[in-house]
Amino acid sequence: MKFGIFFELSTPRPFSREVERAVYHNALEQCRLADELGFDHVWAVEHHFLEEYSHCSAPEVFLAAVAAQTRRIRVGHGAVVCVPEMNHPVRVAERAAALDIISGGRLELGTARSSTWTELGGFGVDPDDTKKTWDEFVRVLPKMWMQDEFEWHGKAFSMPSRNVLPKPLQDPHPPLWVTVTSPGTELDAADRGLGCLGVSAAGYEEQERRTLEYHRRIALCDPVGGVVNDQVHTMNFLYCHEDYRRARDVGVPMVTAFNVANAHLYWTREAYPTRAYQALGNAGAAMKPKKAPADDPSVAKGLPEGVGVGDPEHLIRTIKRWESIGVTGINFLLNAMEMVPQQQVLESMKLFAREVMPAFRSAAQRQAPVYAPAAPAASRGGC
Amino acid sequence: MLTGTADVQLLAEAAPSLDAYFREPIRLDEVTLFQMVMEMRNGAREAVLPPSLHPTIPPTLSMQVWQVGESPWGGFRMAVARVSCRGGVRARGFTTAVAASTERACQGLRDTFGYPARQADIQLLASYSGVEAAVSVAGDATFEAYAIDPLPMGPDDVQYTSTLNLAHVPAGLRLLQLDFDVAPARVERLEAYLEVFEPAAWGNDRLDPYFVVTSSLASGSVTFAPPRFLLRPDELAFTGTETIAGPA
Repeated sequence: MKFGIFFELSTPRPFSREVERAVYHNALEQCRLADELGFDHVWAVEHHFLEEYSHCSAPEVFLAAVAAQTRRIRVGHGAVVCVPEMNHPVRVAERAAALDIISGGRLELGTARSSTWTELGGFGVDPDDTKKTWDEFVRVLPKMWMQDEFEWHGKAFSMPSRNVLPKPLQDPHPPLWVTVTSPGTELDAADRGLGCLGVSAAGYEEQERRTLEYHRRIALCDPVGGVVNDQVHTMNFLYCHEDYRRARDVGVPMVTAFNVANAHLYWTREAYPTRAYQALGNAGAAMKPKKAPADDPSVAKGLPEGVGVGDPEHLIRTIKRWESIGVTGINFLLNAMEMVPQQQVLESMKLFAREVMPAFRSAAQRQAPVYAPAAPAASRGGC
Repeated sequence: MLTGTADVQLLAEAAPSLDAYFREPIRLDEVTLFQMVMEMRNGAREAVLPPSLHPTIPPTLSMQVWQVGESPWGGFRMAVARVSCRGGVRARGFTTAVAASTERACQGLRDTFGYPARQADIQLLASYSGVEAAVSVAGDATFEAYAIDPLPMGPDDVQYTSTLNLAHVPAGLRLLQLDFDVAPARVERLEAYLEVFEPAAWGNDRLDPYFVVTSSLASGSVTFAPPRFLLRPDELAFTGTETIAGPA
């Protein structure tokens, strides 16, 4: 079981430059501590215009700072938005390779297509096209990294032959992932040999179904890159305290605030009739407390199943359950809109590392490099 | 977290009264429903919503123009102005104003659904090449739009979020949550253009739809489910939601 921390860089109102600075610097301090404590990954999202919910529009810059301030934790660009109006694929390949080099080969690259009209509309993106452009991006990125001469004549973009530079340090290239929000995206990940990076909190039953389907399909995959990544990570929240009730008192408002901020985004499906977006939102819809009517506006008062808020014993039980259904990694949101004071966040991380992590691996494992270089796709059975 | 700042007592002046809730689904047939979504600037974001609701980012206004062939109130046309919002974490549309083409429909829509309907002249012309929609009061246009280049879509590709109507209900002044299900025989997405919009006629002079996102046209039947939830207009949904008891 891998443990990561996951940043939206959510920011409380009233906005100010000082508040944004504090959010970024608190996150960097959390990254440095996570590196010392034995967490495996730092993930940072790419979002644009999402007031309060995420002020993380340049994750490659944030992650460069993380890479420079840490020694072993892997840096996850999770995820780069694969639509050409936001990111030209050559620039994605170049930035990722540079980040891989300066991090010493610690990059994980997530791919996504954005789910809000707030973002797509802001960049003038046609929602009908995002699945197609994402698909094109994930097929060309490995080629740009592995070929000295790359040319492409596609629908999202075309270019004459060029050598895309630099090449990443990891050979053949960094592990690739897909963020999974909508049901069915895990199958897109599996078919292409990409890791499944859950970014909406599904319950145990739904996650088990997704994981089983993912593993069944990836065994038959046609990998887009030079390496298959068959890991399944989920997103969760973390607030760990010796006193279970104290943990809930702090953690529940944090989870609720995050879900409310998430729900206030304007979903593509709400604005724009399209077959490309079948889900209305993510966290708000997925995080249904048991026994609550699905349409009840008061939902979000409670805490859904499987959330990492509680005392160490509770968290060990919770994570064991996730492990039992095939999840190979959990990426934790540590705060939302800075509701939890920084010192408490750091104490929660330390308690988690001291009391919960050892139930899953030894101290030596926690200080080791997270991954050995992956085997090339050609040598993997079934692909 | 942003919340609405509108004065509930001012909003209440236009709120209709319901003596009772409908207990059986109400079906409207031969319905043509044109929905147009437009972004607004942030100036209206909180000011048009009651304190119980959260605005979306960005705020949007949707205009729905209905043509109904058969209903408990006969055939009629209706235009509804809704501001996108959230009740708790749920996607909703808050009704700011409604026009209906007949006095009988106005009465029925007010008494049954809590729509603050006022009579107006409403046109909805849907052809295979596009849509024209217009609303006027005493000869003065309050809304005019057209849409072209229809693109066929699947029946599940258009999202209709639940509507919140401010009304005096047996429990007091509440937002009545209306859920309807569209069973369309035909759905299209169209490129839409707004020609006339008079904000004061649609409930708030701060409404400023300036950027048309898109529009859709659906035809078929629409069924309104008996209401299940009420929301106190001055209290967040997490604590201000009330359940309407089912029939004994």
